[in-house]
Amino acid sequence: MAERKSLIKIKPKRYKDGEVVKVSFMVMHPMDTGMGKDKKTKEIIPAKYINSVKFVYNGKEITNMTVWESLSVNPVFTTYMKINGKGKLTITYTDNTGEVHETSKKIKPKG
Amino acid sequence: MQRRDFFKKLGSVTAVAAVMPVMSFAADAQPVSPNKMSYETAVNAITGGKTPTKSSKVSLKVPEIAENGAVVPVTVNVESPMTESDYVKSIHILNTKNGNSRCIDVNLTPANGKAMFSTRIKLGGTQDVVAVIELSNGEFLIASQNVKVTIGGCG
Repeated sequence: MAERKSLIKIKPKRYKDGEVVKVSFMVMHPMDTGMGKDKKTKEIIPAKYINSVKFVYNGKEITNMTVWESLSVNPVFTTYMKINGKGKLTITYTDNTGEVHETSKKIKPKG
Repeated sequence: MQRRDFFKKLGSVTAVAAVMPVMSFAADAQPVSPNKMSYETAVNAITGGKTPTKSSKVSLKVPEIAENGAVVPVTVNVESPMTESDYVKSIHILNTKNGNSRCIDVNLTPANGKAMFSTRIKLGGTQDVVAVIELSNGEFLIASQNVKVTIGGCG
């Protein structure tokens, strides 16, 4: 099984067109600040943290975030979003080592 | 072993023990944060020299006592209609004593529908958590709360 790297959660699960829903984006990421040390080898762990997060819904950017290293390990980003028709929500994150990761979820309003 | 010798040895051992911790601290100099920024410069960079005002519209939810500084939940909620003409432009979460004072800058749009953001941050010790909010009309609002941290969570 492939390792789960990120997850998008929408609350409530059933929503109507035009409703404002809660969107949570959870990422598996070490968020190393570059200040921590390995407990055994006493070597400094190099910095690896998320730089930016983007929420794109039907090609339109809803929210973008500039992230610094003070966020916790496996960070969670929770915000609200207005449902505006069928489509796709794509969330992309970039980290300081150049890693880019993309997750998407289908948006299907009912009623 | 003579009693005199024994005391001499004992003395040398304690002397070494007393010196050792100082030496180990010197060798373990703390590495500097890659984006070192003090709280004042961070606020200045965000507001561009303007002074943010305290407002009851902003609610900042942080625990007063955090047992683990590595995971401190923060929720910022701003009362705003979120229409095209009047909305919350950005939410900045800051701390006052970490290596880098900026935690996250969130740029919102009217498509959000509600000005709320929550995440989890790391705090190195007891300090204030501050939220600076920029409104679409150019005003800045501020809210802060002190958090007592029992175990630091940086690095």
